Amino acid sequence: MAKISRDDVLKLARLAKLSLDDAEADELANDLGEILHYVEQLQSVNVSGLNPTDQVTGLTNVMREDQIEDYGYKPEDLLKNVPRVEDNHIKVRRVL
Amino acid sequence: MLDPKVRAKYKVSIGIECHVQLKTKSKLFSGSDNDARSAAPNTLVNHIDFGLPGALPVLNREAVRLASKMGFALNSRPQQFSKFDRKHYFYPDLPMGYQITQYDQPIIVGGSVDIEVDGKRKTIGITRAHLEADAGKSIHPAGKDYSLVDLNRAGTPLLEVVSEPDMHSPQDAKAYVRELYLLAKYSGASDANLYYGNMRFDVNVSVSTSDALGTRTETKNLNSFRSVEKAAEYEISRQIELLEKGERIVQETRGWDEAKQKTLSQRGKEEANDYRYMPDPDLPPLILDDEYVAKIESAMPMMPGEWRRRLESLGLSKDAIETLIDAEVEEGQVAYLSLIERLLKTPQAARQIANWQINVEVPLRRENKLEGNLKDEDRLNIYQTAYELFTSGKMNSNQTKDFLMLMMNQNSVPADIEAFATDKGLVQESDEGEIGKIVEEVLAEHAKVANDVKNGEIKAIGFLVGAVMKKSQGKANPQLAQKLIKIQLGL
Repeated sequence: MAKISRDDVLKLARLAKLSLDDAEADELANDLGEILHYVEQLQSVNVSGLNPTDQVTGLTNVMREDQIEDYGYKPEDLLKNVPRVEDNHIKVRRVL
Repeated sequence: MLDPKVRAKYKVSIGIECHVQLKTKSKLFSGSDNDARSAAPNTLVNHIDFGLPGALPVLNREAVRLASKMGFALNSRPQQFSKFDRKHYFYPDLPMGYQITQYDQPIIVGGSVDIEVDGKRKTIGITRAHLEADAGKSIHPAGKDYSLVDLNRAGTPLLEVVSEPDMHSPQDAKAYVRELYLLAKYSGASDANLYYGNMRFDVNVSVSTSDALGTRTETKNLNSFRSVEKAAEYEISRQIELLEKGERIVQETRGWDEAKQKTLSQRGKEEANDYRYMPDPDLPPLILDDEYVAKIESAMPMMPGEWRRRLESLGLSKDAIETLIDAEVEEGQVAYLSLIERLLKTPQAARQIANWQINVEVPLRRENKLEGNLKDEDRLNIYQTAYELFTSGKMNSNQTKDFLMLMMNQNSVPADIEAFATDKGLVQESDEGEIGKIVEEVLAEHAKVANDVKNGEIKAIGFLVGAVMKKSQGKANPQLAQKLIKIQLGL
């Protein structure tokens, strides 16, 4: 069975901004290992000549004209969902 | 300073990534205004830019057209098939938690940019160019424990142009970014205004004593040709000094400190190179058929390379050519090349008019000294009249310059330009009778000199011509004055 290490899980969690306790990390290592195992089985299928299915609608070239749209609300309405606002800016923990 | 002998041991390789902001009205995937230059924070935003759940991005048709044009400018052509992907990382100016970009199938693949450094032509390879959405802008108030985010810029369309590591000196790098700027301007893909950050450069530098590439560093977010050159220069010296001390280069992202003129390590983002790209399921692929691509190709304006070839055929100097190439797309300037283009069949006229543009009109416009509002057709008319009056000897070169300065400041062209110029005292006197009278007076006033000239001291004739010019208040045609002096002195 495919193995995924605890360190791999912790790295993924860090990249996804998730905090895991020890028990959760172990459990996820196990679950993800099983998922990988399943994917390994899929890999035995011959898919040469097939395009990856990253789209299912069959659509192409969905485009809009280059116009300024009125979405029917004011930009400041969007800031109502923001936890902390200062001078019309979104206030976040210092990043530099 | 690095010992040139030490420096010579190392081969330098530089590759540049450039983000070109495309000149659209609205954003790449949403209908908010793309011009954030003077807008209050978070006013040009919508649910798509804010990354609200369920918001659906839709591709801007004009961004595709402009990216395609830039593709042709880069000696390439847009791909028939390209698609969009998500690049995941967390940063407060990226509300969706991923950037929409093109990963493995970008709109432009391959291409080249020709540059010239110290008289040598070089071709810089273009790896690819892809469409992507810009992030927002963070500011970090001094002494505070928070940062502030403005998402007006979030979603602005960018074309990231990636070069091969084909540059081998800071001068190459500078020439390349200037040429990219010209290509972006001439193709109409971007305003390419560096002051407003319409072009931002990431410079990858490595040094090596062998043919293999050394460990590279990436200096991010440079916004001028000069800072690209300086940052490359600094990195080359820093890396060589480290290697000479027996130390190793750390592959890392660095920032440019404009005040200290040095690059600094930016450790904060080191973690971030695991982007977990995936195809964006919200955005169907882009397929550009032959007809679309051919239409863009046929509508391409002339690029700087072709203009240079034409201007060279007129025998203009390299400096003169580059002045015109730059001026053509500068803020506050007007069309020059199309006027010259229309006179290519009479190369002497074209060349003379190009020189007047370079020496008179371009500098005046750079100093904001022209207030006239003339159509190109009128300007062409003025230049052609100037050429006729100059070549027929009715204006000398100073008078022609004064004439051009005066005319370019008008709002319309008088019906009879020559009469207008005569009226303003700008046409030299070629009436033999008028000048003959002045010559007579001058010879009488300077009898001794006249006598010397008569007796073979022919050099002194210059003095007499000068006196005639002075008396005619500069209006006499000097060749004619000299001829009449000789006639009157019986020479």
